[in-house]
Amino acid sequence: MDNLARALPRIAGLALASVSFLAVTAAQAKEITIWCWDPNFNVAIMKEAGARYTKTHPDVTFNVVDFAKTDVEQKLQTGLASGTADALPDIVLIEDYGAQKYLQSFPGAFAPLSGTVDYSGFAPYKVQVMTVGDQVYGMPFDSGVTGLYYRKDYLEQAGFKPEDMQNLTWDRFIEIGQQVEEKTGKKMMGLDPNDAGLVRIIMQSAGQWYFDKDGKANVTGNPALKAALETVGKIMSANVYKPAAGWSDWVGTFTSGDVAAVVTGVWITGTVKAQPDQAGKWGVAPIPKLAIDGATHASNLGGSSWYVLESSAEKAEAIDFLNEIYGKDIDFYQTILQDRGAVGSLLAARGGAAYEAADPFFGGEKVWQSFSDWLAKVPSVNYGIFTNEADTAVTAQLPALTQGTPVDDVLKAIDAEVSAQIQ
Amino acid sequence: MTNGIGRAAGALLTYSFLGLMAFLSVFPFFWMVLGATNSSIDIIKGRVLPGAALATNVGTFFAQVNAPLVFWNSAKIAILSTVLTLTVSSLAGYGFEIFRSRHRERLYRAMLLTLMIPFAALMIPLFIMMGQAGLINTHIAVVLPTIGSAFVVFYFRQCTKAFPSELRDAAKVDGLKEWQIFLFIYVPVMRSTYAAAFIIVFMTAWNNYLWPLIVLQSNETKTITLVISSLASAYYPDYGVVMVGTVLATLPTLAVFFFMQRQFVQGMLGSVK
Amino acid sequence: MVHARRGSIGRYYDVNGWLFVAPVLGLIGLFMIYPIFWSLWMSFQSGRGMMMKFVGFGNIVRLWNDPVFIKALTNTMTYFVVQVPIMILLALILASILNNPRLFGRGLFRTAIFLPCVTSLVAYSVLFKGMFATDGVVNSTLQAIGIVSSPIPWLTHPFWAKALVIIAITWRWTGYNMIFYLAALQNIDRSIYEVARIDGVPAWARFTHITIPLLKPVILFTTVISTIGTVQLFDEVYNLTEGRGGPSNATLTLSLYIYNLTFRFMPNFGYAATVSYVIVVLVALLAFFQFFAARERDK
Repeated sequence: MDNLARALPRIAGLALASVSFLAVTAAQAKEITIWCWDPNFNVAIMKEAGARYTKTHPDVTFNVVDFAKTDVEQKLQTGLASGTADALPDIVLIEDYGAQKYLQSFPGAFAPLSGTVDYSGFAPYKVQVMTVGDQVYGMPFDSGVTGLYYRKDYLEQAGFKPEDMQNLTWDRFIEIGQQVEEKTGKKMMGLDPNDAGLVRIIMQSAGQWYFDKDGKANVTGNPALKAALETVGKIMSANVYKPAAGWSDWVGTFTSGDVAAVVTGVWITGTVKAQPDQAGKWGVAPIPKLAIDGATHASNLGGSSWYVLESSAEKAEAIDFLNEIYGKDIDFYQTILQDRGAVGSLLAARGGAAYEAADPFFGGEKVWQSFSDWLAKVPSVNYGIFTNEADTAVTAQLPALTQGTPVDDVLKAIDAEVSAQIQ
Repeated sequence: MTNGIGRAAGALLTYSFLGLMAFLSVFPFFWMVLGATNSSIDIIKGRVLPGAALATNVGTFFAQVNAPLVFWNSAKIAILSTVLTLTVSSLAGYGFEIFRSRHRERLYRAMLLTLMIPFAALMIPLFIMMGQAGLINTHIAVVLPTIGSAFVVFYFRQCTKAFPSELRDAAKVDGLKEWQIFLFIYVPVMRSTYAAAFIIVFMTAWNNYLWPLIVLQSNETKTITLVISSLASAYYPDYGVVMVGTVLATLPTLAVFFFMQRQFVQGMLGSVK
Repeated sequence: MVHARRGSIGRYYDVNGWLFVAPVLGLIGLFMIYPIFWSLWMSFQSGRGMMMKFVGFGNIVRLWNDPVFIKALTNTMTYFVVQVPIMILLALILASILNNPRLFGRGLFRTAIFLPCVTSLVAYSVLFKGMFATDGVVNSTLQAIGIVSSPIPWLTHPFWAKALVIIAITWRWTGYNMIFYLAALQNIDRSIYEVARIDGVPAWARFTHITIPLLKPVILFTTVISTIGTVQLFDEVYNLTEGRGGPSNATLTLSLYIYNLTFRFMPNFGYAATVSYVIVVLVALLAFFQFFAARERDK
C-alpha cells in the first residue's frame, strides 16, 4: 500500500511524459534556434524573417536567442571545441572578420550551402569571406559599408556647407575639425584608443588588409596601413577627437551631441536616428580619402552573415528558411531597411521604393541610395583568420604613435606582435 | 605637547581614517541605489542626486528580463552548491582531523595544492566532460565542479581542531556509530562554523560568473550575474536598468550577510585558532 | 601514532577515515585533477581549433617570443607586487584599530568595511566602470575639490587603467582580509597591549612588534590566498575593459589572455593550456617563497 502510494506520482509522471511525447510527434513541429546579438538590429530582423517563414511553413517555429556579441562568439567557440552538438544552435550569426577563423578551425562544423544558394546574386566580397576551397558556407547578410555622418548645424556654425563635406581628404577633414573646435568648441569625432576600427576603415578604403591574398602578414610593407596609422596619429596629435572608453562611451559621444562627425558602418544609422531631437541636423557624405595609390572613398566596417551548423537536427529546414527569406525575399529587404536601417548584400534587393526614399531625418537626403552606391565600390580584401590578433597588436601600439614614435617603428612593433600571434 | 592633546589628536586621526574608509566602502552602494533612480545619460555624467527614472528603469528591467526565472535559477544553483559543498567538506574536514593516518595526511597536503590550479586551465576539459555527459545547459553542470573545494575542507579541518574530543568519547560510550556522532554531535556543536562557511560559499556560488557563462547556453537557464553582465555589455547599455539589476542581485547576499553576521564572526574566530 | 597500531582498531580508524574523506577526494579528482592532466596533455599540442598536432615543447619556445604573453605576465606581476602589500597592510591597520573594545561605533565600522565583499565581481566592476567614466562621479568630485584640473583618463590611459584595477580589487577585498585578522586578534590576550602601553611603547611600535608577529600565520595564510586570487585575476578586468584588457594591453592578465586565446583569437587550446600552466608554476613558486620567507624570519 505504502509502496503504491509512493509509486503513483512516478507512474503519473510517466504517463504525462508519454502523452506530451505523442503530442509532439503528432504535430511534427520543428523549432529552429538562432543565436545573435543586438536586439534592435540582428535579433529584430531575424524575428521578422522567422515570422515571414512561419506564415508559409506553419510547422516551423523560431527561437531567436539574444546574447551579447562576445557571448555568442565565446559560446560558439566552446561548443565547437567540445564537439558536443547539443550545446549549439541551428543557425548562428558570425561577423565577417571571424568567419574564416571558424570555417578553417572547425572543418565540418558548418553546413555548405553551395548547392542551394545562388551566390552570384550577392556582393562578391561577402561571398569571398565565407568560401573555403570550392565550398561556400553561410548566407550573406548585412553590409558594413561606411559613411561620414556629420552635424550640419555645427559645421554651418564653423562656416562649412554640405558641399564642403563631399570628397574630402583626411588632411582636409582634420583641418575642418580644427576650425569646428575653434568656432563651436565641439570635437570633430569620438575615438576609442582601444578600438582599431578606424584604422581598418581607412586601410580597407585603399584596398589593403593586415594580410595579403594568401593570408600572409602584410604589415611592414603595407602603404595603406602605414597611411591609416599616420592619419590616426594626426587626428590624435591635432587633438580634434573626444576620447571614449569602450563602445557605449563612444556611441555616447555623438548621441549626446558632443562631436560633429562620425565615421563608421551604415548599421549605426538606427542609433543616430534614435535621437529625435537631432532630426534634420545630420548629413551623410562619403568617407575621406587617403592620398595614396588605390585610395577610394568607400570602405567597410563589420557586417555579418548567418551560418547553419552541420550538427543541427533541423538542418534542412534552416537552410531552406535562409534561402527563402534572405536569398529571395526582396520585400523583406525593403522592410528591414526601412525599419532597422539594414543594408543587405543581395544585389537584386538594392533598389525599390525604400532605397529611393528621401529621409527627413537627414534633411531629405536619399541616404540609402548613397550607401547603396558606395557599397558597389568597397574594395575587396582578404580578412584572413587572424584579424582579432592583428587588431590587438594595432591597439597596443596606438599610444606609441601619439607619443611621437616614427610610423615605421610602430609598424615593426605591430609586425613582431602579429608574427608571434599567428603561429 | 601634553598627553591629553596627543591622545585627542590620535583619536581624531583614528576616527577620520575609519570614517574615510567606511565612506569609501559604502559609497558605491549608495551610488548604485541612486543610479537605479537616474537615466542612463545622467549616470554617465556623474549625477549624485536621486533622479525620477526609477519607475522607468524598473519597468524596463522587468520587461527585458524574466526576473522570477532568473532569480530562481540563481537561488537554485547557489543553495544546491552551498548545501552540497558544506556537506562533503565538513565530512572531509572531520575525517582528516579525527581519523589521522600517514596516507591521508599526504593526500591532504596534495589536495591543498589544488588551490593553485587556475580555473582557466580547467574550463576546456571540464566543458568537454560536461558535453560528453550530456549536461551542457543544465544547472547540474554549473554546480558539480564547485562542490569539491580544498579551501572549504581546509577551513572545516581548522575548525574541527576546536571540537572537544570528550564529546566524541562520551558518545562512543553511549554506543553511537561514527555517522551518528557526526550528524547528532558534531553538526550541532559546529553550527557557527557552518554559518560562516555558508556565507562565504553562498556568496561565491551566487556571484559565480565565468563557468556559468560557458555552460549555460539559453536565456531560460541564465543566472542574475550573467544577466547583469550582458545588460552592461549590450550594444546600447541602459545604465539605469543595469543599476536596477545590480541592486536586485546584491540584495540576497546582503540579506544573508546581515542575518548571519553574528554566527559568521563566531565561525571565523574558530578558523584561525 | 595511529598507523603504528595494527589490527582491528587501526583498520576501524582507517575505514572510517576514508569513508569521511572519500566524497571530496572523488569530486576533486574528477573535476580538478583529471582535467588538469588533460590540460597538461593539451599543452604539448598546437593547432587551429580541433586540428591539433603534437609539438613537444614548441609552445614553451613560443612563450618566450610572444610579446603579448610577456605583457600579460608583467601586468599580473605588477598587480601582485603593488596590490597585495597595500591591501594586507590596510587590512591589518584597520583590524588593529577595530580590535579596540572601547572604540565608539566599532560594529558599524566593521560592517561598513566588510560590506564590499557581498557584491559580485561582475556587479562591482560594472559599478566602478560607471563611477570612473570620463565625466563620472569620481572625476567630477576630484575636479570639484581641486585635486585635478582635467578629468583623469581612468579607462583610456595605460597607467590609470592599471591604477583603476588596483583600486577596484583593493576596495573589494580589504574588508575580507580584515575579518581574518580581527578574528585572530581576538585570541591575543589584551593584557599584552596594556603592559606595552603602560611601558610607554607607542602605538606604531605596538603594531609592528606585537600585532604583526603574533598574526604571522594568518598573514601568511591571507597572503597566499590573495596571491592566488591576484595571479588568476579575470572577472574584474574582463568587465571593466569590455573583455580586451586595454588600453594597449595595459590591464591584460594571464587569465584574460588564456580566455582570448581560447575564445576570441584563432582558438589554440594547446597554447592556452601552456599559458595556464605558467599560472600554476607562478602560484607554486610564490607560495613556496612566502612560506620560505616566513620560516626564515622565525629563526
